[in-house]
Amino acid sequence: MSGEQLIDVVLLTLLASTAIAIARLRNLLATAMLTGIFSLLGACWMLFLDAPDVAFTEAAVGAGMSTILILAALCVVNAEEKPSRESPMALFTVLLTGGVLVYGTLDMPSYGDREAPATTNPITRIYLDSAHAPVEYEEDHAAGRDPGDAFAIGIPNTVTTVLASFRGYDTMGETAVIFTAGLGVLMVLAGARRRRPDPITEIDLEPADEGSGE
Amino acid sequence: MDGVREVLGWLFIVPGAVFCVIGGIGLLRFPEFYSRMHAAGITDTLGAALVLIGLMFQSADWTVAVKLVVILFFLYMTSPTAAHALIHAAYTSGHEPLLADDGAPRQKGDTP
Amino acid sequence: MKNHVILRIVTKLLIPYILLYAFYVLWHGDFGPGGGFQAGVIFAAGIVLYGLIFGLQAAESAIRPRLVQFGVALGLLLYIGVGIASMLLGGAFLDYDALGYDGQHHGILLVETGVFITVASVMITIFYSFAELVRSQ
Repeated sequence: MSGEQLIDVVLLTLLASTAIAIARLRNLLATAMLTGIFSLLGACWMLFLDAPDVAFTEAAVGAGMSTILILAALCVVNAEEKPSRESPMALFTVLLTGGVLVYGTLDMPSYGDREAPATTNPITRIYLDSAHAPVEYEEDHAAGRDPGDAFAIGIPNTVTTVLASFRGYDTMGETAVIFTAGLGVLMVLAGARRRRPDPITEIDLEPADEGSGE
Repeated sequence: MDGVREVLGWLFIVPGAVFCVIGGIGLLRFPEFYSRMHAAGITDTLGAALVLIGLMFQSADWTVAVKLVVILFFLYMTSPTAAHALIHAAYTSGHEPLLADDGAPRQKGDTP
Repeated sequence: MKNHVILRIVTKLLIPYILLYAFYVLWHGDFGPGGGFQAGVIFAAGIVLYGLIFGLQAAESAIRPRLVQFGVALGLLLYIGVGIASMLLGGAFLDYDALGYDGQHHGILLVETGVFITVASVMITIFYSFAELVRSQ
């Protein structure tokens, strides 16, 4: 087994065992921490698959913001999950859905397959060649450009080019989704904004004997 | 010259990885929280620093080395602070350390 | 707050660099990994750190909730505004070539800034809402 395959196996094993631990634990504080660790391992996994932009976002969102928000939510509820009833119907549904998903992935092309649509479709070449500097507008308009150069954009990072220029509509939709999520949180939690005249208490690690911010 | 740089880099990376493994073993095998934090904090800072210095030797460009220096600086700022925050939180919420001569219980106002 | 000196000092040292790094990631998204989403989350993480260590009221007086709620919409408006500007300049919606010379570069920069503003504002808003929930308990 080569070194890369070894890292592969180790990372995926760690991801799977963290997921199993999250599902089995009843102490919610430990679960929150393990969720952060799962996101960090997921970021390492994505970096291993040569996707640094996605790894960046996963580490920042999952291991940073998401852990803080789960902990803030835990301040408001019980720190221990209530024991759930055993349900054979739920187990059957989960196994059925998981089985169908695994059956679906059997049809996907192998990683780096030469015949895969992602490799043979001409749009891939257009996306990857867009990092060439664009032609000078004055001279080569007259000289005539070949259609490939019409898409030369000149930005070295292909991911940003695809995200913001070639698939700009999709990114607009993503931004609208994030906007809607913020709106939804504001609408649901707006009732908690009651100004009280007490001294300020912070989200704190120690028992609050006095609480003055600075 | 490149070969010397690469060998020098490996000379730092391998001990760094060994220290990280030692920190992990300490994390699992020590009996209670405070000694585990000690093991994790010290050996992981040292291990990470050695790995980063080794990568600095192996870096292709001097700009990469400068960025690694900045990463090392941030690691040295945040990793001991995180360990401090954890231990402080545990201490002030009453978690007792396992002392060698476990005699008198801890009084309020004792110096830690 | 008796013994939070170390956390306060380290936070005071680090927060300017976190915010600066967020802007670096935003504007260097063209040349390396990065872009609007990453930059917005890193900016919000810096503000959240400030709110955790110095208190929610200090954070809210630095970045007011009204301003952040305005920012949630402003980012999306900037994105769509770029699209409409290219329509008004003769091209299709979100056709950056209509924005003039080096239009792709400028269009992508503006669009990523819009995404950054929205993502950072939404993250900070969600944190403020959760923290108010905890505080009003």
